[in-house]
Amino acid sequence: MALPLPPGLTQNEVAFLAEMEMVTVVPRQRLDSIDLLGGKTPQLRPPHRAQLPLWLALLLKKQRRANIVPPAWMHPASLAEIIHRETKEDPEAFSPPPPPPSRALYSQPGTARRLNPSYLDDFTQTQPDSQQDPNSILSPPFLPSNVAESPAGYLPYHWLEVAEALLTHAGDDMPAPAGEVRSLLRDLVEVRAAKMRSSTSALEGFGDAWLTLRGVGAMELAENRAFLAGLVDGVRKIGASAEATRREEEEEARRGGDYGGDGDEDSDEDMGL
Amino acid sequence: MSYYDIDAILTDAEKIPCTFQIDVPDLGYLDNQPGHTLKSGSRVALPIWLAEMLAIANTGAVDMDDPSQSSKSFITFDLPPALGNDVVQALKADPRSVPLRDQSAHFYALATHMMELSEEPELSAVLRKTFVSRAAEIALHARKVGGGGSSYHGRDGGGGAGGKGKGKAAKEDNASNLGVGGAGEDFLRGLDEWERKLFRSAHDGTKASKEWMENVKKR
Repeated sequence: MALPLPPGLTQNEVAFLAEMEMVTVVPRQRLDSIDLLGGKTPQLRPPHRAQLPLWLALLLKKQRRANIVPPAWMHPASLAEIIHRETKEDPEAFSPPPPPPSRALYSQPGTARRLNPSYLDDFTQTQPDSQQDPNSILSPPFLPSNVAESPAGYLPYHWLEVAEALLTHAGDDMPAPAGEVRSLLRDLVEVRAAKMRSSTSALEGFGDAWLTLRGVGAMELAENRAFLAGLVDGVRKIGASAEATRREEEEEARRGGDYGGDGDEDSDEDMGL
Repeated sequence: MSYYDIDAILTDAEKIPCTFQIDVPDLGYLDNQPGHTLKSGSRVALPIWLAEMLAIANTGAVDMDDPSQSSKSFITFDLPPALGNDVVQALKADPRSVPLRDQSAHFYALATHMMELSEEPELSAVLRKTFVSRAAEIALHARKVGGGGSSYHGRDGGGGAGGKGKGKAAKEDNASNLGVGGAGEDFLRGLDEWERKLFRSAHDGTKASKEWMENVKKR
C-alpha cells in the first residue's frame, strides 16, 4: 500500500518538531523543576526569567501561569530590517541564519569564541584547551535561537512556526500589536517564496545542477521540497544520456592512457583515499 | 524508466517517422498498398518501442560482393515532428509561450528517450533551459491557484510573462482545479506530463502551508 504523502515532513510535523525550541518565559507562579527525558526543566521562581521548551511554555501560557518573552528578531523593527535585506540588499540569496552563540575570549582580548564548539571547528582558533565535546549543539531545534537573548536581524530555522505559535497563543506579550507583526510576517513569507521560485534559474545553464538553500526556514523547505526535488530530477533525466556519453568518453580516455592499469581504479567504491 | 511505469509505456507508444532500408514482402498495407511488398526507402510512422528494436537490430544478411556492408539495420528513424526544428526554434525564442502538450503529452519523456537513441546535444541544452524556465512559471501559477496571497509583487511580476493574467486577485480559494481563470489557463493547459506532476507537487505544498497557517489557531 503506497503512502500518499510525498517524501519528507509535512507542515504539521515540522510545526510539531519546532515546539522543541527553547523560549524565554516569565513565570507568574512557582513551579518546581520537572524531570523530562531531555533533562530537568529549570525551577520557576517569579519574577525571574527561565528558558523552557516551546510546548511547555505554550501550555503554561494557556493555563495563565506564565508569560512568554518573544525573541528579539520578532520585533517589527527587526522584521522590517530583514525584509529590507531580502529585497534590496541581497535579492538573490536568502538572509543568513543567526550566528552561533559566542562569548568573549578573555585570553585574547577583542576576539570571541563559540559557546558550543563543534568538532568541525578548528580548535586552535577557539579554546585551545578544550576537548572535542560530544554534546556540542549543531542544529535547530537545539540551537538557542528563539530565546530573548537571540540576536535580532536574523531568521532562525523555525522562524515561521515559532512566530505563528507565539502570535496565536501569546499575542498579548508582543512588543507591538499582533496584527502588525503578522502582516510583516506575511510579507516576509511572500518575499521568500518569490525568491525560492527565482532561485531555480540557477539550473538553466550547462553543467552541474545545484541550488543554494542557505538560510531557508523549515516550513519553506516542507512546502517546496517535492517541487524542487521534482525539478532537479527532471533536469537530471534530460541530461542523462549526455552524461552517460561523457562518462564513457572519460573512461575511454582513462583506459587508453593507462593501458596496463588494473580495473580497480574504475571502481565506484574506491574513494581515492 | 521502469518496465511497468505507465508514463514510459505511453511514451513508447508515440510514433516516429522511419525509413525502411530493405524490401519486406507482405507488409505493403503499412503504405496503403495491401498485398504488395513494402519497398526499401518507404517512410512509415512506427511506435518507438518497435522502431528502436528494428533500428538497433541488424539483418544478419551477408552481402557477398561487399563483406564490409554485411550488417544493415532494418530501418532508420528521424526525430518525431514534436521535436522538429521549428519547435526547437520556438523554444529557444520563448519557452513559456509554447504549448508543449499540443506537440506531445509526454514531450520531455519522448525527447529524453530519443536522446538516448541518438546524440542531440543542442536539444539537450534547449530542453534543460525550457524545463527550468517553465518550472519557475509553474511554481508561480501553483501559488496563485492555491490561494496564496499576492501582497508582494516584487520580483516575480517581472518574470518575462507579465501578460499571463496576473490580474487575478488573491482569493481564499482552496480548490485544486488546474488553471482557474485568466490567460494563465492557456499556459497550464499546455503543460506536458512531467510539468503537470511538478504543478501538482508545488500546488500541494502551497495548499498544505496555507491550511497549516489557518489551523494554527485551533491547536
